[in-house]
Amino acid sequence: MKTFEYGDQEIGQKEIVVTTASMIVGYGVLTMPRQIAKVTSGVDGLISIFTAGLIALFGAWMAAKLAARFPQQSFFDYTSKIVTKPVAYSLSALFALYSILFASYEVRGVANIAKHYLFDRTPVEVLTLYFLLVVIYAASGSRVAIIRLNALFMPIVFGVAVLVLFMNIGYLKMEHIKPFFSTNFSGYLAGMKSTIFSFLGFEVLLFYVSMMNQPQKAMKGAIIGTSIPLLYYLASYFFVIGVFGDATTATILYPGVEIAKEVEAPGGFFERFESFSYTVWVMTQFNTALMFVDLSVICLQTLFKKKKKQGIIFVLAPIIYLCAMFPQNVDQFGKYGDWISYFGLVLAFFLPSLLFLIAKIRRVKGNG
Amino acid sequence: MPSHDYPITIFASVQKNIQNIKTILHNPVDLSARVFTIGQTNHTCAVICIDGLVDKKLVNDEIIKNIQLGTSQANLRIPHSTQEIIEELANEILSIYELNKSNQLDDVMFAILSGDTALFIEGSEEVLLIGSKGWETRGIEEPLTEALVRGPRDGFNENLQTNMVHIRRRIRDPNLRFDSLIVGRRSKVGVVITYIDGVVHPQLVTEIKRRISSIDLDNVQESGFIEQWIEDSFLSPFPQIQHTERPDKVTAAISQGRVGILVDGTPFALLAPVTLGQFLQSQEDYYDRWQIGTAIRIMRYFAAFIATFLPSLYIALLEYQQGMIPSKLAFSIAGTREGVPFPAVIEAVMMEATLELLREAGIRMPKPIGQTIGIVGGLVIGEAAVSAGIVSPVMVIIVAITAISSFAMPSYSFGISLRLLRFGIMASAAVFGLYGVILSYVMINIHIANLKSFGIPYSTPFSPTLYHDWRDLVIRAPLMFLRKRPQMLQTDDPMRMNKKGGKS
Repeated sequence: MKTFEYGDQEIGQKEIVVTTASMIVGYGVLTMPRQIAKVTSGVDGLISIFTAGLIALFGAWMAAKLAARFPQQSFFDYTSKIVTKPVAYSLSALFALYSILFASYEVRGVANIAKHYLFDRTPVEVLTLYFLLVVIYAASGSRVAIIRLNALFMPIVFGVAVLVLFMNIGYLKMEHIKPFFSTNFSGYLAGMKSTIFSFLGFEVLLFYVSMMNQPQKAMKGAIIGTSIPLLYYLASYFFVIGVFGDATTATILYPGVEIAKEVEAPGGFFERFESFSYTVWVMTQFNTALMFVDLSVICLQTLFKKKKKQGIIFVLAPIIYLCAMFPQNVDQFGKYGDWISYFGLVLAFFLPSLLFLIAKIRRVKGNG
Repeated sequence: MPSHDYPITIFASVQKNIQNIKTILHNPVDLSARVFTIGQTNHTCAVICIDGLVDKKLVNDEIIKNIQLGTSQANLRIPHSTQEIIEELANEILSIYELNKSNQLDDVMFAILSGDTALFIEGSEEVLLIGSKGWETRGIEEPLTEALVRGPRDGFNENLQTNMVHIRRRIRDPNLRFDSLIVGRRSKVGVVITYIDGVVHPQLVTEIKRRISSIDLDNVQESGFIEQWIEDSFLSPFPQIQHTERPDKVTAAISQGRVGILVDGTPFALLAPVTLGQFLQSQEDYYDRWQIGTAIRIMRYFAAFIATFLPSLYIALLEYQQGMIPSKLAFSIAGTREGVPFPAVIEAVMMEATLELLREAGIRMPKPIGQTIGIVGGLVIGEAAVSAGIVSPVMVIIVAITAISSFAMPSYSFGISLRLLRFGIMASAAVFGLYGVILSYVMINIHIANLKSFGIPYSTPFSPTLYHDWRDLVIRAPLMFLRKRPQMLQTDDPMRMNKKGGKS
């Protein structure tokens, strides 16, 4: 079987990998080291990240498994098979709400950091609006194009991100890394909690696996796609702590961006490398925001069958914008993100497993 | 509205037919109608053709002379019935390989207007249409817009037949196809779709034919008309069909599984489908050794980036992110900008616009003057603008590098697209700095991801990611590694070489 049919709308395993990876990596990883460093000491946070990553791997595998059980069927189709139509409707509604909130969170996150690193006077409202308009433009295009964009951006983003990390090798300090295992158990748990939020996003599999031409490869794609962020998170945390130390990291607003500050571009062509690396990072946040907008469109389309995609997006845009403008400052924004993440925890981790369990018990299958 | 009060049938009488055709064409000066009798008989016949469109020698020697004299020299007995005369003429007298019969006035008119000769015979309603096209054409010259250092020097010209010959001469495969279509209500231009059967994806040919046959223009003046009619998105700044003057480029493309479209009356052939990467490739990449080809291609990608983004990056850094410029450089830039009354945006737009103007002026001028314009414009104005303190020297450098980079694009039309985009990105950078630049980049990518050329995503093989095609994308792998045709074209026959060699 050819993996790329002539001009069709299907995707393969590679696309699932990049989609999962670029969905997971977003705003979260930039602030994550601060939250972990607050509750753990040295590089012990790595254990938290790793454990959280394993849970996320399981979650992603579960979501892929569930979706692959029903090949070429939309989320609504298979949920209504597993748990009756009314429940499926409400699940879609919940997912729509969650996606709208997460999209607004991501959009605002971009603007916040851009304001912090790139502008001093341009108001955050305008930055948000511009970014949102670009997202809306992309969301109005075809769904396959969204996935293609992931594949176009991800290598660039990861290339620059990994480059930034490795250019920091010279600044690593042993005394920052030591001592090992000096955190208590509740510290690890608290670290895990904040990490697991950064792994949210793999729920996209519930929706996009239906586009795959070989759904049986979805699980492998999901695992690889989740491992890439996991590895990056581990490396990133290690370098952040190694360069800044846990005490300093706990006070830095965006340690994930700040890590580039120490770096000097070879040849002295650029200074303030963090502005450059953040600029590139905008692309992955764009992908995340875009896919959340698209997820909400998918869900809303099942709720309002007669409405056109463009019409839904047209109504959605102002809602997302208002949601994004809701938090007044960085503190409120952080709380806003926490609430969304709790919401996401339920939808992304527990729901797929529950649905899969019910499907197993009731013996509901894609072809039956 | 012209009056259609002439009959549309062919008469048995030669005189009547001549009269009718003269009426239809309003008796133009270049219409020749010669009435004569077939040798040693008193059967009247007539040749009608358009002077200048036909090969005069052929009409004189092979048609008229043969009919007048050839019959007696060969001691042929001319039969009496007109039907037999026509057979005799076709079989034994006319030494011309291209010969058709028709009894439709429509066909006859079309043949005459396209340079064929019509032979009427008294008493018959059937007309012999003799292929005698032979007008003056430009010779085969080196293509002006796509010069190469190494590679064949011949280019297409305005004659469709000659252009087809170019391709035939390079591919002696019985599966080479030339499917001919006629487009344009009034111009009735011949269009030839060329591809290799068994290599090309059959649906691609069907789709291209469908789109071309949907053309309903009265006059198709150039292949650009066809390109614009059949392209996927007319709003896109990017060309979705490639055009070329080089026969070797067309043959290379069709042997990869693409489709060429030749149009009569223009040296520019069209190639479809096309993706972004192909606009950054030159045919010469394959003729040189692979290291050179690869190095040049990588350079072109940089050039494309610079041509699109350099001025906007300069604006963004200077207006918003001054901190990113190393302090020494920042000071020297600030020093040279001393006294420049405009912000960097205005300066950049002004200089870019001037340069575009210069380029346009240079093209339209006669060649020697065009070069002078380049020197006067580039050197004198640039120098004067700097010393007058209107622009900074750094800006001149930026603009010059950008211009050179955009001229390094192998495809002229693609270079123009990038130049157009540049102004939009500059505006975005002026308001939002680096953030604006990156969002413009994202927007361009969104557009590219949504764009298709004949069903193939414009961003292939970058995304959808087809690793095998990457061997001939940014790099040009050694020939032995290019064993398969591009996967994105979904060819019927994927292999293009056998490494074992010799054993067929």
